[in-house]
Amino acid sequence: MERTERAARFDGWDPGMLAAAVAGGDPQGALRLVQAALAAGAPAPAIVQEGILPGLDRLGERFSCGEAFLPELMVGAKAAIGALDFLRPHLEREPSAYVGTVVLGTVQGDMHDIGKGLVAMLLRSAGFEVVDLGSNVSGARFREAVEERRARLVGMSALLTTTMQGMGGIIRTLREGPAGRAARIAVGGAPLDAAFAERIGADGYAKDATAAVALFRKFQAEVGAAEVRP
Amino acid sequence: MTSRERVRTALNHRAPDRVPLELGGTANSSIAALAYEKLKAHLGVQAPTRLLTKQGQVADVDDAVRERFRIDTRPLRIRPAERWEDVALPDDAYQDEWGVIWQRPPGMNSYFLHHSPFEAEATPEAVRRHRWPDPADPGRVRGLAEEARRLAAETDQAIIFDCTASFWAEAEWLRGFAGFYSDLITNTAFMHALLDKVLETKLGMIGPALEAVRGHVDVILSGDDLGAQHAPMISMAMYREFVRPRQKALFDFLRRNGGGAKILYHCDGAIVPFLPDLIQIGIDALNPVQVSAAGMGDTARLKREYGKDLSFWGGVDTARVLPFGSPQEIRDEVRRRIEDLGRDGGLVLGAVHNIQEEVPPENVCALFEAGLALGSS
Repeated sequence: MERTERAARFDGWDPGMLAAAVAGGDPQGALRLVQAALAAGAPAPAIVQEGILPGLDRLGERFSCGEAFLPELMVGAKAAIGALDFLRPHLEREPSAYVGTVVLGTVQGDMHDIGKGLVAMLLRSAGFEVVDLGSNVSGARFREAVEERRARLVGMSALLTTTMQGMGGIIRTLREGPAGRAARIAVGGAPLDAAFAERIGADGYAKDATAAVALFRKFQAEVGAAEVRP
Repeated sequence: MTSRERVRTALNHRAPDRVPLELGGTANSSIAALAYEKLKAHLGVQAPTRLLTKQGQVADVDDAVRERFRIDTRPLRIRPAERWEDVALPDDAYQDEWGVIWQRPPGMNSYFLHHSPFEAEATPEAVRRHRWPDPADPGRVRGLAEEARRLAAETDQAIIFDCTASFWAEAEWLRGFAGFYSDLITNTAFMHALLDKVLETKLGMIGPALEAVRGHVDVILSGDDLGAQHAPMISMAMYREFVRPRQKALFDFLRRNGGGAKILYHCDGAIVPFLPDLIQIGIDALNPVQVSAAGMGDTARLKREYGKDLSFWGGVDTARVLPFGSPQEIRDEVRRRIEDLGRDGGLVLGAVHNIQEEVPPENVCALFEAGLALGSS
């Protein structure tokens, strides 16, 4: 029964193939399949939900269990971003497809940009808007960006045992603003753990980039989209 | 037993009189300049801080500190080019001889990658067109032979020679992080061209340097970071396609021209899956044994599975224990690593990577006092 329904809904395109193209890091293939799906009349949000995101999930699982590595993750994310860029004009007509804005940065004193950059890329590939503040970001700068966008999602990274000590203060600064108080804050970086995240008043900890995307999706479901749309 | 004999004995997998201690033998196993200032004040050592590297701002450890802690190593480094001078740029930035631009942000102590010359155009043609460093620049070996001879004759410690025997790191800086890792899948012709050219340039630099120091150094440092916190950065298949053949060529070259010096390989992160290959292609010792990374913390297992062929260099946790632990916790950590890794030689004990700014001098003292006390029993 379900098979028949799926076949009817997705007549002319195969979400499984799109997911496989994303998971397999095939940007041209993913783009071709998205074009074919649109031509077959599939709605843009369904293409994202049934094709692109499951592909990223599969890739994330393979990354978590050690079957995929950084290069595969980056190329998969590129495939998803290319597909999403192509879909953007169609998605903008569909308010329901909107996922939130994440303000992201590596904390003050810390220049380690790589993990945070990967999180930014994966979030974009999963359809989030990302305001990437870069590295060496102060609490005031985080607060300013969050208040300006009324962003509900914040991600902070620290790679040094020195700079992670400053994260609690940055979160306190952030919480001074009304948007900051309402925001969900995730932290990550090699020297951190969940207990540390809880101690400094963060709402969650992600052990790697794919876990960060899952965490922001959970946060997004909790807070809805109240921020200023770009 | 002299320090030099102690390190050599340990690296030959025989039990020395005590576990050799390491601080400042390489620019990856030293101490951040700011922590070093505090340490010297604590120890009452008065000397201006000299740097081992400009980019990382780590200290060149003084003999007074080396003697105080009974450190068994000392560094010797290839010299800078003399026909090239780093180009000073605005905003505390500079361009190095590879064409890579580094910048020190306001309030920070080290320089960070700012611009990569192959960011915009990543093609084999761009590799050919690029202005590469001159490997034969005589500055690189200026005074090096004399210095090596002098250190070997006048000092006791094992001499660790850093001739920048790496290629992966330079390639990553030249291309930039994001492009580098996706090129490994989508732009392989460029990657091979880039890696070949970097390695060729490096071998051109290393050859004369080894000739200058041959017979006077005990250990040659190599290193390229391949590990992330939870897993290697790349798959085994990719390691074997892009890295291993070039590493083998590099290690063969170091072995052929190194006058019997051991090969110490530095690689951060979780790299257990690559260890059998690395041993097979000729590394003698692994630094820093990042015990906070996945699979690296079970040092008893590392010794059991790889210790017959591989020595361990480092091992004392810097993610948690050194900066935040009590002196007792530091002693416990030192005891554990010595028990796990030190049987029948095969261990040079030190911190995992450079001791960071926030580590209190008392903890640095606790590390080396425990190493000295527990390493002899």
